[in-house]
Amino acid sequence: MSNGLQEVTEYSFSKKSDERFKELEKKFPEKNSLVLWALHLVQEDIGYVPEVAMEYVAQKTGVSKSWVSGVVTFYSMYNKKPVGKYHLQVCHNVSCWLNGSDKLEEAIKRKLNIEHGETTNDGKFTFSHVECLASCGTSPVVQVNNDYHEKMTPEKLEELIDELKQK
Amino acid sequence: MADLEKRILLQDVGKPNSHSIDVYEESGGYTALKKILIEDNKKWTPGAIIEEVKASNLRGRGGAGFPTGLKWSFIPKDSPKPKYLICNADEGEPGTFKDRVLLEDTPHGFIEGMIIAGIALDSKQGYIYIRGEFYKPWERVEQAIKEAYEKGYLGDNIFGTQHSFHLATYRGAGAYICGEETALIESIEGKRGHPRLKPPFPAVEGLYKCPTVVNNVETYAAVPHIINNGAKWYSSLSVGSEKSGGTKLFSISGHVNNPGVFEVPLGLPMIDIIEKVCGGIKNGNKLKAVIPGGSSTPILTAEEASKAIMDYEGMAAVGTFLGSGAVIVLDETTDMVELAYRVAYFYEHESCGQCTPCREGTKWVKDIMKRFKDGIGQENDLDTLCDFSQYMANGATVCPFGDAVMMAVVPIVQKFRSEFEARIDNSEDVQHKVSAAG
Repeated sequence: MSNGLQEVTEYSFSKKSDERFKELEKKFPEKNSLVLWALHLVQEDIGYVPEVAMEYVAQKTGVSKSWVSGVVTFYSMYNKKPVGKYHLQVCHNVSCWLNGSDKLEEAIKRKLNIEHGETTNDGKFTFSHVECLASCGTSPVVQVNNDYHEKMTPEKLEELIDELKQK
Repeated sequence: MADLEKRILLQDVGKPNSHSIDVYEESGGYTALKKILIEDNKKWTPGAIIEEVKASNLRGRGGAGFPTGLKWSFIPKDSPKPKYLICNADEGEPGTFKDRVLLEDTPHGFIEGMIIAGIALDSKQGYIYIRGEFYKPWERVEQAIKEAYEKGYLGDNIFGTQHSFHLATYRGAGAYICGEETALIESIEGKRGHPRLKPPFPAVEGLYKCPTVVNNVETYAAVPHIINNGAKWYSSLSVGSEKSGGTKLFSISGHVNNPGVFEVPLGLPMIDIIEKVCGGIKNGNKLKAVIPGGSSTPILTAEEASKAIMDYEGMAAVGTFLGSGAVIVLDETTDMVELAYRVAYFYEHESCGQCTPCREGTKWVKDIMKRFKDGIGQENDLDTLCDFSQYMANGATVCPFGDAVMMAVVPIVQKFRSEFEARIDNSEDVQHKVSAAG
């Protein structure tokens, strides 16, 4: 792929995900409840949900592949294509907008030269704007992978990007 | 002036390690459970617990405000099927961030509430549905569940009694609609979050086709306090209508000096909350409008807000809803066209797509708002928009999402119409511009 991200063509759970899946199986009386969980595990393993992983999840949870595909395309957190190592997600809903989230989006576009939904050529950063993250009292917020960065300013965001570039 | 605050659910928030079981126990945590199961077990029959919650006038804190005790009483007592208890922690209504505080900073409160509800409803299994973006809150809840199992508050034969209750988390994956209880149930069944037609209601046929109660995090968190101090004490905490008992967590954001989550008695004047609790409007600006209960509740002008009382009845009196208690304060600099566009964009993005009026209608609403944002609105657009209500709301769809879109967008247009009219383009080639804008 042009942005240096590799498509995954073979997949099965990592050892850690396999163990967690077995734990989760004990907690739900119906296996289909594990579809969303399994997809979270896939993303923890490889960052997105390729076709092969959908087939794998279908087989693990006893549902059809089209069921899994329907779920993947329904929920916004499941990435349909590879994303960068750091996924910068800027909330652009009302409270974040009132407190300057537009400037955060501009800072990312300026600094990394990518638009919403795009990934940098080195595969390091993906940028998305997202809906309300429930951080309105400490807005604007940027979610980077699992972490919230609250009361963000363009300056602090640029510093954060510089820091992540070094990692 | 923080003295309007009444911190009961938030009593531990701000203390070091407030999320730990030790801190919760030090402030009397899990004593309500002990009362029910050991010390006062003769008094606290399942029926008595439900009656106490009914008498407390606790109403669902997720947004709909349905009386909690009444909801519990709908669970059939003679059903041979297992009964499920669900905690709705899919906090996503724009402007709302109170449940995040409970999940992250004081998770044992609602966990104890769930165990008590489990005993009252003869449920052995509860699930906590946490929005996928809440990774840290989810970790905290997982830790809290582990602690509660270790102390014997969760598991089989709690305190050696015949009562058992198990809890597990479920992570959502980014879908606002899953805050609607039947969509949430579908989601726990591993499906797309499409709301179900009702009836049957979840109390009769919910998760895995079994009787199910779904309550918000804050609702469960109030339960131990009601058991410990009594329904009368709880209901009299509020200063307004008798029908709205207790305290409420408000998430206050936007143009105020001191935004955040505040717990206050129900029934205070909105203006006191803005001025005294939140330190007034930023930069000494004037108030323009308030979205009172999350983005789905009709906006109030500054004048309406000045008269509004913050409880379920008080909000109804000014034509809106208390909703989730998410107050978004807007000052005089706010561009109402941009506001309406952001709101419309959200609903278009989050419509689940199941019902045609909502799936298509939300796109039309957003497209119209986009034209005004771009300064190429047309003369008849605003009336057309207001007309959509009859096709998208009032029962045209399976769930209330269609109503929510209309309640969110139309009042902004109606109450601030001149700002929209100023973006009308009367030039001859406007059609061309509209087509070009897509």
